[in-house]
Amino acid sequence: MSILAVHPGACYHIESFESPRFAGYFDRLVRPEDLGSVDLHAFNVVLIPCRTPADRMEASKEQLLAYLDQGGTIVATGESESQLFLPGIAFTPQPTNFWWWLTPGADLGVRIAASDHPLFARLTQRDVTWHLHGWFDPPEGVQVLAVNGEGKPILYIDEVTTRGRMVITSLDPFFHHGSHFMPATTRFLEGFLPWMRNDLDRKAD
Amino acid sequence: MKVLLIHSHFGPPPATYADHIAAGRLSVIRERDLSADDLAGAGGLITTNHLDQIGFMHYAEAIRAFLARGGRWFFNGHILRPFVEGLGNYVPLDRPKRADLVLTRLNSHPVFDGIDQSSLEENRGVAGFYGRGHNPLPVGGLAVNGIGPQMLPVDWEWSLPTGGRIFSHAGNDLGSMTGERGLVFADRIVEWAEAGAK
Repeated sequence: MSILAVHPGACYHIESFESPRFAGYFDRLVRPEDLGSVDLHAFNVVLIPCRTPADRMEASKEQLLAYLDQGGTIVATGESESQLFLPGIAFTPQPTNFWWWLTPGADLGVRIAASDHPLFARLTQRDVTWHLHGWFDPPEGVQVLAVNGEGKPILYIDEVTTRGRMVITSLDPFFHHGSHFMPATTRFLEGFLPWMRNDLDRKAD
Repeated sequence: MKVLLIHSHFGPPPATYADHIAAGRLSVIRERDLSADDLAGAGGLITTNHLDQIGFMHYAEAIRAFLARGGRWFFNGHILRPFVEGLGNYVPLDRPKRADLVLTRLNSHPVFDGIDQSSLEENRGVAGFYGRGHNPLPVGGLAVNGIGPQMLPVDWEWSLPTGGRIFSHAGNDLGSMTGERGLVFADRIVEWAEAGAK
């Protein structure tokens, strides 16, 4: 078992990573500034949480690419400008409507795009629906797991850009769960993290 | 002396502080570029809920010295590191219902002067954005606003026995609130912090 989580240290990161509810999913925590002293190849998964300041990750860009090219898995959640430190990401931000659900009968439009994927044995559409920050134009050949109302990817797995695997999303569950706000984000992590442990935390073939 | 806005997130600093920055009343410093010397030259300090609390702990000694000189620190967010002796970890409300999110002014404070606290309870008809818990009130602290029927101290000011003051708002940045309210709070927060170490 080896999952490394980058720990930027804001209160919502501390709550997400250090509180007993989810702490067991992270085998080691590392500060962004200390990544250079860690052998990433010792870990099956490197997780970069929501709202990791991109300028604290840019120095690790080459190290992350080398890790991916040797078969590593990186999980990166939203609002971190991941395109600045991970390869092959084209992100378009969108204004966030935090209030869509106040309109009776409203539908944010998020849809599961691969219902037979094992992640969705643990998550329902309701668990991936809180609000939107933007979408991706990923390379051809990625596996799109969830889309916005316009059919644009908001959660996908990229095994084509490098020899490794990137699980990329614009959803920001750690920020909201760690802020004790938005129950859907806690439900998302209750499904996503066991899937990460069970399906991603293994050596590449 | 200077008032520092510790800018912890990636992207521009909160727009509500733009006038204070332009007027030279507020110095913005990226948290990653902060040094103990910066704190030594400051009389006021504003931190946001994006503060890297692990990193900021490296300045615990400089923060103690800053406060001992009479510095004022406006803290937004959930305290989860013991920056100063006497502070305790944030306590979230347990699955709050609407009644648990009622806000009550407990003591007057210049930052909230003339502001009806109950008017901050809801944003577009939804409660909970202001705060959903509290940072424990230090011994000798003054509760400014309470949350829920128990009136837990969601906002407080503490004049430390060793000098200096901390204001704690256990929520998102008060000074980054959208609309006119955010501009009013930003202005008052800067003014409050400017009174530090004069």
